Amino acid sequence: MKMNRRQLLMSGVAAAALAPMGRMAFAQAATEVVIGVVYPMSGSNAQIGVDAKHALETAADIINADYDLELQGAKGAGIAGLGGAKIRLVFADHQADPQKGRAEAERLITQDKVCAIIGAFHSSVSATVSATTERYGIPYIAADSSSPSLHRRNLKFFFRAAAHDEMFSKAMFDFMDAQKKKGKKIDSVALFHEDTIFGTDSSTVQQKLAAERGYKIAADIKYRANSPSLTAEVQQLKSGDADVLLPSSYTTDAILLVKTMAELGYKPKNIIAQAAGFSEKTVFDTVGDQLVGLISRGSFSLDLAAKRPFITKVNELFKARAGRDLNDNTSRQFTALLILADAIDRAKSVDGEQIRAALAAADIPGEKTIMPWKRVKFGPDGQNEDADPVLLQYVGENKFTTIYPEIAAVADAKWPMNA
Amino acid sequence: MSTEALIQVIASGLLMGLIYALIAVGLSLIFGLMDVVNFAHGEFLMVAMYATFGLWLVSGIDPVLLAPAVTALLFVMGALVYLGIVRYAMRAKANIGMVQIFATFGLAILIQGLSQYFFTPDYRSISNTWLGGHTLNVFGVYLPWPQIYGGVISVLVFGGLYLLMSRTDFGRALEATREDQGAVALVGIDRNRVFALGWGLGAALVGIAGAVLAIFYYIHPQVGATFALIAYVTVALGGFGSVFGALVAGVIVGLVEALTAVILPSSLKAVGVYALYLGVVFVRPSGLFGRL
Repeated sequence: MKMNRRQLLMSGVAAAALAPMGRMAFAQAATEVVIGVVYPMSGSNAQIGVDAKHALETAADIINADYDLELQGAKGAGIAGLGGAKIRLVFADHQADPQKGRAEAERLITQDKVCAIIGAFHSSVSATVSATTERYGIPYIAADSSSPSLHRRNLKFFFRAAAHDEMFSKAMFDFMDAQKKKGKKIDSVALFHEDTIFGTDSSTVQQKLAAERGYKIAADIKYRANSPSLTAEVQQLKSGDADVLLPSSYTTDAILLVKTMAELGYKPKNIIAQAAGFSEKTVFDTVGDQLVGLISRGSFSLDLAAKRPFITKVNELFKARAGRDLNDNTSRQFTALLILADAIDRAKSVDGEQIRAALAAADIPGEKTIMPWKRVKFGPDGQNEDADPVLLQYVGENKFTTIYPEIAAVADAKWPMNA
Repeated sequence: MSTEALIQVIASGLLMGLIYALIAVGLSLIFGLMDVVNFAHGEFLMVAMYATFGLWLVSGIDPVLLAPAVTALLFVMGALVYLGIVRYAMRAKANIGMVQIFATFGLAILIQGLSQYFFTPDYRSISNTWLGGHTLNVFGVYLPWPQIYGGVISVLVFGGLYLLMSRTDFGRALEATREDQGAVALVGIDRNRVFALGWGLGAALVGIAGAVLAIFYYIHPQVGATFALIAYVTVALGGFGSVFGALVAGVIVGLVEALTAVILPSSLKAVGVYALYLGVVFVRPSGLFGRL
């Protein structure tokens, strides 16, 4: 196109007139809050990532749209402290690989300019991602990684609202002590755990608790995750025949463990699981008939909806996306984003240092979350010590009842499970 | 550990070993025929398991009866993969080995991705079958029926393969093509056709394995990876291209894996298999039954 001088002048004027609009659009974009999310979206735990995406999108929807729920962060559209800015989530896939997690975190921070990261299910990945966020000075919220070592690395930007495996395991042993007091026979436990940081940390705590409280360890099996066969391992469990089996397993191994136990004719007297695979719907869909009576530690209980009706509403919103109920993992992911949004709201900024300060000052009463916690208040190490764990017993047909602690319990435990 | 428990571990290892052999033999066959390592072998297994699951879900027919259909399906898939992909990868002028590796490796990732997209990453499992969940109790040693079935099928398949290779024209054509690809053309054997049938046969064999495995194992887009690594070491141990080496090596891998889990901490149980393989490499670099 050939332009004469007048046309050129006009186009220049038009461009000058449009420029401020461009800047306005840019300013608008800056009040959008971009949050990074690192989960396994492919690989053997891809379903965890898919569900996490649904949980976090549900939370983002509740924050961004105007819902009338008694939840911290739910009221009003967007983040009030930033003039109603909307949350935008950027998802990344870590494939259960700590190194991929680290690389993805770096990409989210440098390219997508996220102001905080939520992750990561696998504790091993949370370890590398939180080291990266620390270096860049933005907060990391470990929604559902439960290894106790994670908050003991003097990280300034690490936060975990949920319980860690020491708290969970302590609840298990408290429960067993209570059963013993009632005259039930519990002398020995068997540990069965996978070989990454989740399983090893979990078993270290359980070994210590068993020794302190006088339980004999009949078998202590550290197995290789994603093994094609667990026959020899289950044979050792069977030989030990402990009163309680304590597995710390992800989904694949949980399914294989249960199938192999059935094949070798081994019915453990009781199982108290360190959640992970044993809180996944898919495990109960495939081998649930052999797990009736199983107890798993949890962070969440749908039974709580009787006291807090908004939990039912949140569960419905989640179920519409995911086609399943909220569980141990998805409830924690959901809550993590609401806690982060609350902090950004109070910080009135997307600056990493200021969000960190707001998180450190957070004090959310448990009644304003969907969790059975006393409150959310982070210690100097970033751990919330008031996240009370619960124990849930599987009663069949994808349903759990809360059996411990007594304040949250809606039924007595069936013990032994295979009676 | 008691004698009874030890017998249990050995029996389980033996049955698992026969199944490993069945999974590996297709890989070995294809390699022996044309020196191509199929890196999508585990994904073929996964497709076979999903095919079994899907057919069972739709028809309600027991997986034991579905095995022939799944085998036929995988035969077609194997032949198509050769005709559609590998044939072209073999035309590379330089770095032909690399091109083949990347072609099949890429195929593996594609199949995984498509499976996760279409089948979701949820774990599946076939329930209430004739064999599933039933166990034979021989004096306190438990032998799960699905694995006994797998072991028997494996032995039958190897018997059938022996007959096929030694008694039929197709078998002789396979053997001749692997000996000398140029010479067979002179006697009127279409190399492409033999390769396509070879790929079909190799995939059909892993199809049988998938139909067996689907009865007692979980089904997931990543399930192939769990078994593929074992299949590769089985083929390498038995000798690349040696069909009966795969049988012996599969059984050895199954037994060594089970026994290592008893002697060493179970998290190290794969160590035994790979240590054994390294040992074999020192003595016989081409594997136990490989041609030197």
